[in-house]
Amino acid sequence: MKKDGNLAILLRGLIAENPVFVLILGTCPSLATTTTVIGALSMGLAAMAVLICSNAVISLLRRIIPDTVRIPCYIVIIAGFVTLVQMVMHAYLPALYEMLGVYLALITVNCIILGRAEMFASKNPVGKAILDGIGMGLGFTLALLSMGTVREVLGSGSFAGFAIPFLSEHTVDFFAKAPGGFMVFGIMIAVVNAVSHGKAPKKKSFSCEGCPSLGLCHGESVCAEQAEKEAK
Amino acid sequence: MKKAIHCVATLTVICLVVSVLLAFANYITAPIIRQKQDEAANAALLVVMPEGKDFVLLTEDDLASYTLPATVTKVYREAGGGYVFELTTSGYASGLVLLCGVGADGAVTGATVLSSQETLGAENSYGDRLVGRRAEDIEQVDTVTSATKTTAAYRNAVRDALLAFAVLGGADVDLRSEAEILAESLNTALPSGEGAFEKWFVIEALTGVDDVYVAENGTGYVCVIGDEYVGVKADGTVTSQTDTETAQTAAAAVATVKGAVLTELSLGSYEGLPASVQAAAVTESGSVVLTVRGAGYGILGGSSYHPASGEYIIVRVAISAEGTILDCVTLSQAESENIGDACADEAFYGQFDGKTAQNYAEVDGISGATYTTDGYKKAIGDAFAAFNVLKGGV
Repeated sequence: MKKDGNLAILLRGLIAENPVFVLILGTCPSLATTTTVIGALSMGLAAMAVLICSNAVISLLRRIIPDTVRIPCYIVIIAGFVTLVQMVMHAYLPALYEMLGVYLALITVNCIILGRAEMFASKNPVGKAILDGIGMGLGFTLALLSMGTVREVLGSGSFAGFAIPFLSEHTVDFFAKAPGGFMVFGIMIAVVNAVSHGKAPKKKSFSCEGCPSLGLCHGESVCAEQAEKEAK
Repeated sequence: MKKAIHCVATLTVICLVVSVLLAFANYITAPIIRQKQDEAANAALLVVMPEGKDFVLLTEDDLASYTLPATVTKVYREAGGGYVFELTTSGYASGLVLLCGVGADGAVTGATVLSSQETLGAENSYGDRLVGRRAEDIEQVDTVTSATKTTAAYRNAVRDALLAFAVLGGADVDLRSEAEILAESLNTALPSGEGAFEKWFVIEALTGVDDVYVAENGTGYVCVIGDEYVGVKADGTVTSQTDTETAQTAAAAVATVKGAVLTELSLGSYEGLPASVQAAAVTESGSVVLTVRGAGYGILGGSSYHPASGEYIIVRVAISAEGTILDCVTLSQAESENIGDACADEAFYGQFDGKTAQNYAEVDGISGATYTTDGYKKAIGDAFAAFNVLKGGV
């Protein structure tokens, strides 16, 4: 792994390795909670809080947690933070809690968080892990926010609940529904790809580093997938 | 082996630490969550009881030892000794869900509509008129013209809330429905009737008697005179304990009932009878009994109504020689369920009793069923028109 500067770690998540549009992680909440800007923003912030905390703790414990049980350990830690966020939101932001519903609890199994724990936090010191959490969290939040903005403005004719003149009288329901979500999602991926001029890491460049099985094979064996490609 | 133990121990410790931390977080947030939830639930309750606090929803176990009116669907107890009742009406204006607060002093603190199947106008603010009322004077609140049935149902529901309050306070309240009270009164007045009675269709004017019920087994009659139910056997002997005057009134009424004879008229021999008149008969004293076919919703307004013989409303009307409606009953109808079919309720057709050609049109319509009401009133109008033709000919 090449040594990145702190700023690079922080900025990476925004565009180049945006978890939603480039890594294509966390698709479920990205589609489900982006019908409104408020929902998207609060989902992003909640996930970011969990991401930062879990990254920090997992990084701290990276030498203590045995390799074979690391996934259960990560899940327990992540679930703990999610439950904490749930309790705090239920107590202090009940309206948001109702709005996010089951997706709040599902942050536990959000691939971004487990993915960052596995790919980054478990291999880096606390400071960098936190920066990575902030960067990825911001990237996730920005992605949700941009999708939420497009979908709410076109689908409901409002922004963060405030009606927009003209648009509020000519809403396109399609965008508020799941198919509209998929379409916006696809267009966003295309836009991000175009903006980054393909600098976004190709699947290949993840190679062993991004592979969830890395911990098991330690890059010693050749993936079936890679072997296949090389054969060609 | 050592490695395995290490793995299990690490995971266990992490789980324990997380659990302890979450338990602590729960300890802090649980009361706040509970409080917020209560506040949200109480917001609706505060509308009907602005000064109430610490509302507690009573469970079925709490209420097991009380018999509450069937209208009451939920009960909240308030710290000050008051109650808030959720009420769901049935019958004429079914599906009206109300919230009614009753203060510790037994007076209504507020009432509001939670949901309704009808378009509410004046009913929405009707609850304000009931504030401060008690069980004793709730009936004195007038219903709202043009929404009589709904507001009457509203008022009856609030009365049920007051009854429920009395029950919860330990009072012994008669919760029987009017029908149950009637059935029991009839049975007490004339046990030989074995509980099967039919209301006599009044074809001859009765003096001093509100209603007469005929025992279906032919053993006798029960006259309703004010609050009293007086049983009279088929041979004319009065069975109930009552004063001489009442007994005479009852005996006279039964004699009228027994003596009433209907003579069928041949409709073809009269000119100018409304086409809707299906049958006519007269009594010796000159009362006319008419069977009239009224157009229902299907004919007056509905396009989707299936054409069936039942789409007419068949009404039986008795008009005294003086031109006053003696009795009126809906014989058959096929109006919309839970809307127009209310024309078959005595609450509706009973309103025509005592009306004349001049004022029959003033009776309250069926809410939500203008066509049915119009068709029904037209039938009554036809009856009066027929009455005039027949009187001219007799």
